[in-house]
Amino acid sequence: MDDPALWHRLQFAFTITYHYLFPQLTMGLAWFLVFWKWRALRTGDERYAVAARFWAKIFGLNFAVGVVTGIPMEFQFGTNWSNFSKYSGGVIGQTLAMEGMFAFLLESAFVGALVWGEKRLGPRKHFLAAVLVAVGSWLSAYFILVTSAFMQHPVGYVVAADGTLAIGDMRAYLLNPWALVQFAHNQAAALVTGAFVVTAVGAFYALRESHRDQARMYLNHGTVAGLAAAVLVAFPTGDWQAKIVARYQEPVLAAMEGRFETGPMAEITLIGQPNVKQRRIDNPIEIPGVLSFLAYGTFHSDVRGLDAFPPDTWPTNIELLYYAFHVMAGLGTMFIALMGLANIQRVRGRLEQSPVLLWVLMLAFPFPYIANTAGWMTTELGRQPWLIYGLYRTQDGYSDVVSSGDVLFTLIGMAGLYFVLGLLFLYLVGREILHGPDAVGSEPARHADREPVAQGGAHG
Amino acid sequence: MVEVWFGLLCVTLIVFVVLDGWDIGAGVLHWVAGRTSSERREIVAAIGPLWSWHEVWLVAFGGTFLLAFPKVMATSFAGFYLALWLVLWSFILRGVSLEVGGHINDRLWRSWWDFVFALSNVLLAVLFGAALGNVIRGVPLDDSGKFSMSLFTDFGVRGRVGILDWYTVSVAVLTTVLLAAHGATYLRLKTIGPLHQRSERLARQLWATACVLLAVVSLETWVVRPALYEAMVERPLAWLAIAVIVAGAWALVTGLRGTAESRAFVGSCAVIVGLLAGAAVSVFPVMLHSTLAPEHSMTAYNGAAPAHGLALALIWWPMAFLLAFTYLIVIMREYRGKVRPTEDTQGYS
Repeated sequence: MDDPALWHRLQFAFTITYHYLFPQLTMGLAWFLVFWKWRALRTGDERYAVAARFWAKIFGLNFAVGVVTGIPMEFQFGTNWSNFSKYSGGVIGQTLAMEGMFAFLLESAFVGALVWGEKRLGPRKHFLAAVLVAVGSWLSAYFILVTSAFMQHPVGYVVAADGTLAIGDMRAYLLNPWALVQFAHNQAAALVTGAFVVTAVGAFYALRESHRDQARMYLNHGTVAGLAAAVLVAFPTGDWQAKIVARYQEPVLAAMEGRFETGPMAEITLIGQPNVKQRRIDNPIEIPGVLSFLAYGTFHSDVRGLDAFPPDTWPTNIELLYYAFHVMAGLGTMFIALMGLANIQRVRGRLEQSPVLLWVLMLAFPFPYIANTAGWMTTELGRQPWLIYGLYRTQDGYSDVVSSGDVLFTLIGMAGLYFVLGLLFLYLVGREILHGPDAVGSEPARHADREPVAQGGAHG
Repeated sequence: MVEVWFGLLCVTLIVFVVLDGWDIGAGVLHWVAGRTSSERREIVAAIGPLWSWHEVWLVAFGGTFLLAFPKVMATSFAGFYLALWLVLWSFILRGVSLEVGGHINDRLWRSWWDFVFALSNVLLAVLFGAALGNVIRGVPLDDSGKFSMSLFTDFGVRGRVGILDWYTVSVAVLTTVLLAAHGATYLRLKTIGPLHQRSERLARQLWATACVLLAVVSLETWVVRPALYEAMVERPLAWLAIAVIVAGAWALVTGLRGTAESRAFVGSCAVIVGLLAGAAVSVFPVMLHSTLAPEHSMTAYNGAAPAHGLALALIWWPMAFLLAFTYLIVIMREYRGKVRPTEDTQGYS
């Protein structure tokens, strides 16, 4: 409690973690919608249009929660982290403004048309709306990741006369190697979430023996995309990510792996509890040499442990960092195995006749959310105690004019509001899934409960 | 350079207020203009497809503010901490009520979300009004270059002021009425039948009320910060803003009297643009006026980001702005004319 930044950090951690549950599905699902709309347009097969229509409803709910939980994120730079904003606004303001101006405006201009405008727009323009929303959401991610990457590996800045940061080299800033790598890794992970959710709904219908055509389509498309994305998350993007951490934040990599001592034949720890005081992993189950191999390509390479770095460069919360990384990596490996198995069964034409596998696929959908969250915890905890790695400390960045009482007030308020929001979201999405896609051949939702209103206007 | 960015920032804010203003205004009138559940569905359908796009202009404003004036953005957002969080909560409630309200065809469900929608919009109108009032009156900036404001102190306008005082409350009332009038003008344009007639009547009454309130607040402003008027008479741009207000008022009056619904709506937009632009021109270069001592005020010059970054952003920012307006035109063309509740369902099935 003697940490004045504590409540600010908790509030930001809570609101960003909660917020990111939604964009990852938006970004993953957007390309499924584009694919189905495209197939519907090319083949005229109504089943694709039905799939797109059904998922657009879930997409719309998910997008809306993403928007309303996203707006507080940008404002918190000013309200809760005003000293940080004053210090670095000359740099990160560029990409935060770009995100709003280029990406978010594009995305939100067409999302209404995508979700509710099928009749107004007609098939071609409606397809175009889906593409623009998908592009907008991925563009948005890139600008945010450039901002985040600057905090991990600051490049392209100069120090102004008053000591604050200013943009120096825009190209270097926008093409930060950390941002490129993280974008690849993060977007692949968002596709995993999208694929697992689509697959889970397919498995649900297959097990209930309802919506058979649609169930088959979701299972087929979900597992193919799921395997491809799960592999991409690990290799090459996860590998790149580890190498870039090794290059720019070496102590962080050691802490993630729970490696306290330097030496060759570095082992990879599968399970074990970090004991930071004793500087060891308790009850370790490990495979020797693998970490050396992953980091440097041979089993005998020396991998530096935390003992090679002065303790004041160590991440502040090694235990949580270690677990976050291991949860992410462990789950990522299991995703490849599960989706690999599902694809073997799919190719053999047995997927729908494998009830146990369908049960697992149906219940697996929360885990990509956990893996994505754990991945982001690894990134952000690894950076502590720095707000901008090596440049600016978290302790210096919070709004010192805002009392802890004020922050706790808003944190409690957000917790309550987000709890209700979560209940509503789960209830409404659950309801849509239980209702299921409309039968092929039915028009987009009719409205029998309301008198049609005579049409005016030029477009009648 | 700094002048250009002050202008662009104000343009972004004005775009937000005009666009989202009609959503907020329609929302304030949600229970007044829409008497039955299906009329309220029509209101939602009328503002439906673009509400999130309008709201995103606030995000664009926040980003541009940080880009161009990081010190002012950081100081003011931290200083207005609680008030800003109330704004954020209202935004969340408004977005949720718009999106989930239509998903279930049930009387209680819909009544509840209609109520939340109206309430959150009233809160937004009041809070934005209070914010405008605070910018004009000033904030207790001291020599540390920071301020922290409680929601209210003694309701006076000098020294250690709170967010709410007699002046900011009256600006909040004016803003609420003005946005409601703007919303009614928009609903008149987009709807038919009884809802259309009610919106027309409301638009006339509310604009008349807004005129009176505007006169009162203008007098109050003369008491609170007379320097604004001195600046205004000297600046040609302020005269241009006044011309826009006069032209807008003419379009509004003639449009509301007759049946020229589009003209009235354009007039309504112009009046709001003129009022905000006039205020912006008159306060320049002061962005945060200090009520404690004028030398502590934060200006566009001492709060701006370094020039190199501003110059770089001047390359991409206008491109993004033009692109954004292209989307607006594309979408507006698709949705022009009266709202068609059977098609523009916003999930209200």
